[in-house]
Amino acid sequence: MKRTLALTLLALAAAACSDSSPQPGPARPAELTHVDLPNHPSLTPLPDPEQNGGHTGRAPRRLTVAQLRESIATVTAGTRQWSQLNTLAASLGQADFALTNAESTEANLVFAKFLEDGAREVCLNVARDDLNRAQDARILWPELPGTGRDFTLVDDGTVQKNLATLSVRFWGSPFNADELAVWTQDFKGFAANAKRANRPEQAWGAVCIAMMTDPRFFTY
Amino acid sequence: MISLPRRTFLKAAAGFAGASLFGGLSFRAFAQASNLAPADRCFVFAYFGGGWDVLLSLDPRDPAAFTAERISETRILPGYSLLSQDPTFPTAMVTPTERAGAGPSNILFGPAIGRMADHYDLMTVVRGLNMSTVAHEVGFRYFLTGKEPNGSAARGSSTATEIVGQLKPNVPVPNIAYNIETYNDRYPGYANALRVSSANDLLVTLSPSPTAIDSEIEKQLIDLRGRPVTCEADLYDSRGLVKQYNDARAQMKTVLDAQLDRNFRFEDNATDPPELRAEKAALRTRFGLRPEGTQDARNSAAARAAMVAVALRKGVSQCVSINITGGLDTHFGSQVTQATNQRLGWNALADLVTDLRSTPHPAGGHFMDHTTVLIFSEFSRTPLINAAGGRDHHITNSCMLLGAGLKHNFVFGRSGDVGLSAGVIDHDTGLPSPDGFQVLPDHIIATVLASAGLDYSITRVAPLKGLLAG
Repeated sequence: MKRTLALTLLALAAAACSDSSPQPGPARPAELTHVDLPNHPSLTPLPDPEQNGGHTGRAPRRLTVAQLRESIATVTAGTRQWSQLNTLAASLGQADFALTNAESTEANLVFAKFLEDGAREVCLNVARDDLNRAQDARILWPELPGTGRDFTLVDDGTVQKNLATLSVRFWGSPFNADELAVWTQDFKGFAANAKRANRPEQAWGAVCIAMMTDPRFFTY
Repeated sequence: MISLPRRTFLKAAAGFAGASLFGGLSFRAFAQASNLAPADRCFVFAYFGGGWDVLLSLDPRDPAAFTAERISETRILPGYSLLSQDPTFPTAMVTPTERAGAGPSNILFGPAIGRMADHYDLMTVVRGLNMSTVAHEVGFRYFLTGKEPNGSAARGSSTATEIVGQLKPNVPVPNIAYNIETYNDRYPGYANALRVSSANDLLVTLSPSPTAIDSEIEKQLIDLRGRPVTCEADLYDSRGLVKQYNDARAQMKTVLDAQLDRNFRFEDNATDPPELRAEKAALRTRFGLRPEGTQDARNSAAARAAMVAVALRKGVSQCVSINITGGLDTHFGSQVTQATNQRLGWNALADLVTDLRSTPHPAGGHFMDHTTVLIFSEFSRTPLINAAGGRDHHITNSCMLLGAGLKHNFVFGRSGDVGLSAGVIDHDTGLPSPDGFQVLPDHIIATVLASAGLDYSITRVAPLKGLLAG
């Protein structure tokens, strides 16, 4: 009986895993390969807040120190890391399993302060690097053609395209239309002030700081 | 009657909450509204590293009675005469000068107690404490937690963490551990201590970001972060993590706007406002801070004590644990080394108590009326001097408790007059009793917690009733 059951399960597994759809092209970085599973039940939608104590889905969590390190590396395409991260790891909540035996993921004052420090260091370094990079190698303004340093001259459409790219990179989700319009105005302010202060890196650097210190960056 | 689906109601309520919290009030104004205020109840845990000689401070013996000739009988040699090479040390037990209105002291001290003896009217000294260990790590971890370690591994949370975990104070950095271990085994991260190994670590936390940006862009960023939240964002945060972060950011802004770091840079700075310069000058005088030397303004015992005072007074912290002095593991060398290092710590703490007892607390009285101080070491040193001129580890210890919630001008417990043995004490009276029990660090920690009305069940012992005020 057991043998029959095992054979049946094996056959079903083989059928479920066989893929008759066309082979996808080579995977690109950060792109998940699509898999068709026609017999797979549909995903369970998030519970209705009415039936979930007023909550939508599970509780958001703060990134651990290790996750934060990886996230910074990811959004900067591995070009920059926060120099003080290891030094401040214990204060940011990393457990050493000798004196502190649980990772703290509280978004408390110390975390807020040090994340701000880290975001400024990383973002302005990346922005300074970008000033000297070609468009296809840039991290913070990859959608802007040319090598101009006066970002007040960039049209709204290009700014929005770049903001959308950054929002996906930093948060994994694009801006909605209303928020994109507001951030576009914010960017214009950053660009004007950066030009006035003769600090061109601070235009997109400020956007990066704002995104890195936004809860959408450090929660999941 | 119109019936609204609950989801619609939740969205509307969330939108209202978001708008009322951030919409009606700019983020800058919101940040400025959360002012810093000292905690109503503060705690200081001061550690003397290396194992102190209690004969020189908290548990003295009369050298006229405990002579070298009686060693075989008493197994105790105070050795105060060996301090005569430094004339600043007395060579007899110290009786504090009577403080006006406080009555005479009920406590006698050893020659290394320094200026701390002046505060006899605010303290209890516990004697005859059984540490159950003569291993450094085991001893201080036992005292930090009130739980006997597993081997040498600490069990449970530090007492400071336990206190902050229970009280959840509304101060920016509630728990600071300065060059001392700290543990958290059951509380959320808010109770974790900010571990600093030097004054500079604390300054990094309280100082503006080292990476400056244009001031107008800075203002823009503040406004961007204070924008009203959307219904979706509010629903996403129905459990409050993002709100906690936003509150922390507001608190951070308050801390940075208050430029608290300037208060912890004790050196004179011509760019400070005049009133801060005057305040810091008074602090330097009180703690005897100098640019260099044993009283240097950055990392000396005096500077550490001053840091504790400022952290409590400015409402930065509620609990500060501090390694106030070290160099006490004197197996070799002279009594003078032990006495000098001990006195550095006692004098620094005496200046801290002077500061706290003369600084008014916003809730009434002075800071010492709102502060409990526990001063301890991992164990004591043998009552006899070894062949190398030093003293080895001894199991019978003492500690000092000062301030709120405790009896004052009081000695609790007693060590034996033969070999400085641990006492058997009536826990209600503090007097030696054949029907009594030994006093352990567990009892001290339970008493500290009970002094503030906190749950002490983690210690699994009852507090020492004879030590509690009222």
